This record gives sequence, structure tokens and C-alpha cells, in this order.
Amino acid sequence: MHRVTTAELQQHGANGDDQYVRVSITEPQKMGEGMGAYMAYRVSTQTNMQFYKKSNFSVYRRFSDFLGLHDKLTEKYLRSGRIIPPAPEKSMIGSTKIKMSNQSDQGASADFIERRRAALERFINRTANHPILRVDPDFRDFLESELELPKATNTSALSGAGVIRLFNKVGETVNKITYKMDESDSWFEEKVQQVENLDAQLKNMLTRVEALVYQRRELSQCTASFGKSVAMLSNCDEHNSLSRALSQLAEVEEKVEHVYAEQCIADFGILCELLKDYVALVGAIKDVFHERVKVYQNWQHAQVVLNKKREAKAKFEIMGRTDKINQANDEVVEWESKVERGQEEFENISRMIKKELERFELVRIQEFKVTLINYIESLMQNQQQLIQIWESFLPEAKAIA
Amino acid sequence: MLQDDSPDASEQSSINKKSNKSETVDLTDNSLVVDISDALSEKDKVKFTVHTRTTLPEFAKTDFLVVRQHEEFVWLHDRFEENEEYAGYIIPPVPPRPDFDASREKLHKLGEGEGTMTKEEFAKMKQELEAEYLATFKKTVAMHEVFLIRLANHPIFRNDHFFRVFLEYDQDLCVRSKNKKELFEGLVKSFSKTSDELLLSATQKDNDDFFEKEKDFLLEYHSHLRDATAKADKMTSRHQDVADSYIKISTGLNQLATSDHPELEKFFTKVSDTFEKARKLEGRVASDEDLKLSDTLRYYMRDSFAAKQLLYRRLRCLADYEQANKNLDKARTKNKDIHAAELAQQQACDKFEQISIKAKEELVEFKKRRVVAFRKNLVEVAELEIKHSKAQVQLLKNCLESLKEEME
Repeated sequence: MHRVTTAELQQHGANGDDQYVRVSITEPQKMGEGMGAYMAYRVSTQTNMQFYKKSNFSVYRRFSDFLGLHDKLTEKYLRSGRIIPPAPEKSMIGSTKIKMSNQSDQGASADFIERRRAALERFINRTANHPILRVDPDFRDFLESELELPKATNTSALSGAGVIRLFNKVGETVNKITYKMDESDSWFEEKVQQVENLDAQLKNMLTRVEALVYQRRELSQCTASFGKSVAMLSNCDEHNSLSRALSQLAEVEEKVEHVYAEQCIADFGILCELLKDYVALVGAIKDVFHERVKVYQNWQHAQVVLNKKREAKAKFEIMGRTDKINQANDEVVEWESKVERGQEEFENISRMIKKELERFELVRIQEFKVTLINYIESLMQNQQQLIQIWESFLPEAKAIA
Repeated sequence: MLQDDSPDASEQSSINKKSNKSETVDLTDNSLVVDISDALSEKDKVKFTVHTRTTLPEFAKTDFLVVRQHEEFVWLHDRFEENEEYAGYIIPPVPPRPDFDASREKLHKLGEGEGTMTKEEFAKMKQELEAEYLATFKKTVAMHEVFLIRLANHPIFRNDHFFRVFLEYDQDLCVRSKNKKELFEGLVKSFSKTSDELLLSATQKDNDDFFEKEKDFLLEYHSHLRDATAKADKMTSRHQDVADSYIKISTGLNQLATSDHPELEKFFTKVSDTFEKARKLEGRVASDEDLKLSDTLRYYMRDSFAAKQLLYRRLRCLADYEQANKNLDKARTKNKDIHAAELAQQQACDKFEQISIKAKEELVEFKKRRVVAFRKNLVEVAELEIKHSKAQVQLLKNCLESLKEEME
């Protein structure tokens, strides 16, 4: 059954044009052995944009390449106020599992690999959906370049980008402690609050969905267990048609268990992952708000220095220190232009953030709608399967003589 | 002495009774109709109003009520169980003690968590728990009723003196629940009875093939039934948990709807609505599975246990018979008290033969009963599952249509 992907969301015209870059991530494979092992993915792109050399192409990338890409984009665009789609988290447990697993160890690591693959796909497509990021040369290289990308060393926790991530994780507490900005723009005042609310709501919703996933998983296991006990009952029953019906019931419960397990995957894969992605995106928005605060800080700092320089110049003029006046004057001019630049930077980032947030909202609304529809469809399909399962059992039950 | 009961009539009434667990009663014989017309849940106790309508001359009135508690039902069951004359019958299993512990605990937990949820959420969860409580209550009434109906329809049991007392005597039967000492003694007794049972099973060679097979079958069957009942209970309980978690999803979406972008408001509200309706359906699936599957398994677990008890009584009888034989031989060799020994031996022989005949009938009866009951309940559960799933599909289809409209 076809689920609308983030890539196809572009068709809903969030960018208001016909251009698209659609990426699919496939063929996860383990490369290397032992502690040096890593996962590689095939990154296949379809595009109608002239910016790219071809319209259909693929390359192979490893997980740290994705993180490296995110860091580069952050370095380049965060300062100007762009919301950079967050990359999937590095998971110590997950990656160690992969390194340590062997052929027979499929189960849990297969789950993890699939979740990661899907998360990477969403990350790249969100980036590919962004009108500016999708025509960034580093992004293009990531998708297009046949060469192995330089090993991303910045993806460790202590790199610049890592510090930003760390910063964000510490969150509001740090924001509040560092600098209390004098907010004159009511739009921002309102928006910051809205984003905080959204954050809380999403996290709340995520907890509830996770609880549902847990309960459904338990139900699935109990159903399987029940089915087995019915099979035992069927085996010892000497009445032929009843025994048959009971063994059919055991099969029914097994099939029902599969349906519940499928539903679990949908609960998790569709709802949970959406909510998690948006919690991370809200984090990226907070990053950009924080960036603006830093820009403001910069500007204010320049203003403070300018005032000092002006005072100094005035002092020298009063004191008649002609030898110092020229230099003081130069400094005043220098800092006047710094203040001007500071203000410009602040106005630019503010304007950019407004634009980005508007776009973000459009995309978010669309994505939520599409995802909820997908989820309801999954519920419906699973219920339809249940109907089929029980309908095929009914004649068996009626056949008990 | 064998009573002259027509096997057809008793078979008929047994089947009817099984298929109409609590509502209607055997239509061919209205001479003794028993039902539980009312029940009151009071703190730790449940008070059942037992209503009897009868045309039998042994009763003082034709239409009367008494109030009974669970312990009095147990008392009645024990009177049947210990009556030697009924040794050849399967004694209807005593209904389980009314157990609201689980419901009560859930309600308590909800109360504790009241501060952490919205009014709306709290109200919904409370409503759901109250419905569960009510369902448990209805079940315990039904189970007590089935027990009485089975006795009333049984051609022999219905004439039992203690049964009449139970139905008629308008005072408390002064049956205090067993104190600790008695409970312990009871435990020791039942423990030794079981080991006795095991012992007998091992040493007593049963000449009768039928009973050998029956014993093997019942031992295994009962054990599997017990396991299946426990697993069914767990499954339905988890199912109820899933339904409950839908409440949280629904209220969470409502919260999102009010605080989020206006364009998403309608969307969230519709999905929230759908979840609310879906959880009612899931709740019904859980309770129907409980009633049709779990309860059927549970009942036959108890009934098969009663059947095992019957086999045990018969084996005891056989042991007594063999002992009487030995005593007779001894008496003959010693040439002392021969006549008394012959008499004793004859009695033991008769008793054993009677119990064997009766037991065979009962066991055949039991097997037929369970086939009928299983068939009925399996068919019903399948029909209900289909019905509820279809309702959910319709609900979800409607939701999708209305959501897709919003997309345009």
C-alpha cells in the first residue's frame, strides 16, 4: 500500500513551483568488521532541476556523511536565520548493536536499521524540499558526487556543530540564563511562546502514542500466547469437529496477532516518528531563535562600544588632546559601521526567520494532515484484515456438529 | 436406588440451560423457575435477590424472594458435594467469588492521578471504569444465576432439601465464612484429597476401559482449559488497556486542536472524535471476547473439575468394594462374621455399580454439553468480532472521507 512520502509532499506546492528533488534511501548494508564497521546506504535521487547534472542518479553514503552534511548546512545557514532540518540522532546503543551483530543476529538490529533508514530518508527529503538548501553546492555534492566524501570529523560531540546541539539540548534553562533580550517585536514575542507551547504539546502527544504502542505490543504477545493454549486444547479434544474448530481458532489468533503487530509498526512508524521528527524540528527552530538573540547581542555590544568610543572622543575634545582625537574619530567611525552592520544583520535574520517560519508552518500543516490520513488508513486496513480472518473462521465454528 | 428420570428430559433441560445462560429457562417444565431478579453491591459484599416461581407442592408459596450472599451459595454447593447419594453426579461448579479488586484498584489509581489530567479526560476514564465495574457485576450475577438454574432443572437436585431451604428460608443461613483455622483445614483436606486422588489413580487398576480413557482425557483437558482461561483473561485485559489508551490519544488531540494552528483544528478534532468512537468499539471487542471466550473456557474448566471429582468418588467406591471383597475372604477363612461381611460386600458392590452407571451417563452428558456450549460461543464471538470490525471500518472510512475533503 502506498504511503505518501515527505518527498511527494513537494507536489502539494509548499514551494509554489513545479521543481522537485526526490530522494530515496535504500539498501542498508553493513560494511567492514568489528568496531570499525558502519552502515552504508544507497541514496537515489530523481530531479527536474537544472542545478543537478542528471535527472536520475545514485551514490552510496554512510551515516556520518549525513551528520556531516547537516553540520555544513548549519554552519552556512543558521546565522542567516534558516531552519535546518535536524539529522537523526547518533545512537550509541544502535550503532554498537550493528557493529557487534553477526548474520544470525537479525531481529532487533533489523528493526533499528529500518527505523534509521526511514529517518534518514525523511531528513534528506525535508532538506531537499527547502528552496534554498536544495540548491546548495554541498547538498548537491552529497547527492551527486561519486567520490567518497571527506570523513566528517565534526560529528563528534565536541565540534562546533556538536556544541550547538549540546546547547540546544540543555535547552530553555540556558536560553534564559545567558541573555534576556529586550524584545520589541511582538511577532517574535508571540511566536516564541507558540513554539514553546507546540513543543510541550508534541512531547505530551508523543508520550501518549508511545503508551499506545506499548499496550498494543503487549496485546499482540498475549494473543499469540492465547492462540498456543487453544492449540493445546484442540490437540487433546477427541470430538472431531470441535477439535478442528479449536485448531482453526488457534490459527485465527495467530493471524490476529500478526495484524496487531502490523498495527504496532504503523503506530510507531507513522505517528511516533512524525511526532519525534517535529520535536526535533522545534528544536531547530529554537536554535534559530537563539541565533537571533546572539545577533542582537552582537549589535547591542557594538552599540555599547560605540558609546564608549564617542565618550572617549568627546573627552579628548574637551581636554584638547588633538593627538588622540583623530584615532578616536576613526574608531567612532569604525564602530558606527559595525553598529550599522549589526542592526542590518539583526533585521535580516529577523526577516528571514519570519519567512522560514511561515514556510515551516505550511509544510507542517500539510505533513500532519497527510500523516494522519496515512495512519487512519492503516487502522482501516488492519480492521479489514480482521474481518476477513473472522469471516473465514465463522463457517468452521458453525460446522461443529 | 436409581430414580426414574427420563434421560431425554434432563438432557434437554441441560442443553437449553447452557444455551440460554441467564435469561430464559427450559420451556417444557415450569414447575420450578429460579432467577436472580436483583443484586446490590455493598462495600465488600454482593447481595443477590433469588426469585423463585414454582408449582411444586413441597414449597409453602408459589412466588417468593430471598436475599443471599456468595458464602451461602458456597454452603449450598458443599451440601451437594458431601451428599453420598449424589456421588454419581457431576455437581454443578460453585460460582466464583465476586471479585471487584481489579476494578477497584484501577479506580483508585485513577483517583490518584486526577491532578495530572484534564477534567474531560478524567471524566471519560471514570466513565470507562464504571462501565467495566458494571460489566463485572453483571457477570457475577449471571454466574450465580447459572448455578441455581442448573440445580433447579436437574430432576434429582431440584428436590434436595437444602436447595429448598436455600430458596425459601427467609432468614440468613447463618453461614459465617470460614475462619483461618477452617480455611487451613480445608486446604490440608483438599491437598490430601488430591494426593489421595493421585494415589488412587496410580494403584487402582480400572477394568473399565471407558473410565480409564475418561480419566486420562479429563486430566489433560482440565489442565489445558485452566491454561487457556488464564491466557484468555490476560488477552482481554490487555485489549481493554489498548482501548483505554485511545482515550488519552483522543484527549491529547483535542488539546492540540485548541492550541494549534487553526487550519489543523478541524483535522485534529475529527481524528480525536474518531479515536473516541473507536475506543468504544475496541472496549466492546474486549468485553465480548471476555464473555464468550474467557467465560466459556472458565465454566468448562470448573465443570471438568467437577467431572474429575466424580471420577475420584467412583474410584474411592471401587477401593471400598475391593476392601469389602478382601474382608469377606478373611471372614470366610476365619469362619467368623461371614454374613455381615457378605452383606457389606453386596452393598459395596451395588454402590459401585450404581455410581458407575450414573457416572457414565453424566460424563457423556458433560461432553455433549461442552460441544454445544463451545459451538454457540465460538459462533457468537466470531459474529461479534465481525460486527465490531465492520463498524470500525465504517467509522474510519467516514473519517477518511471527511479528512480528505479538508485537504482540498
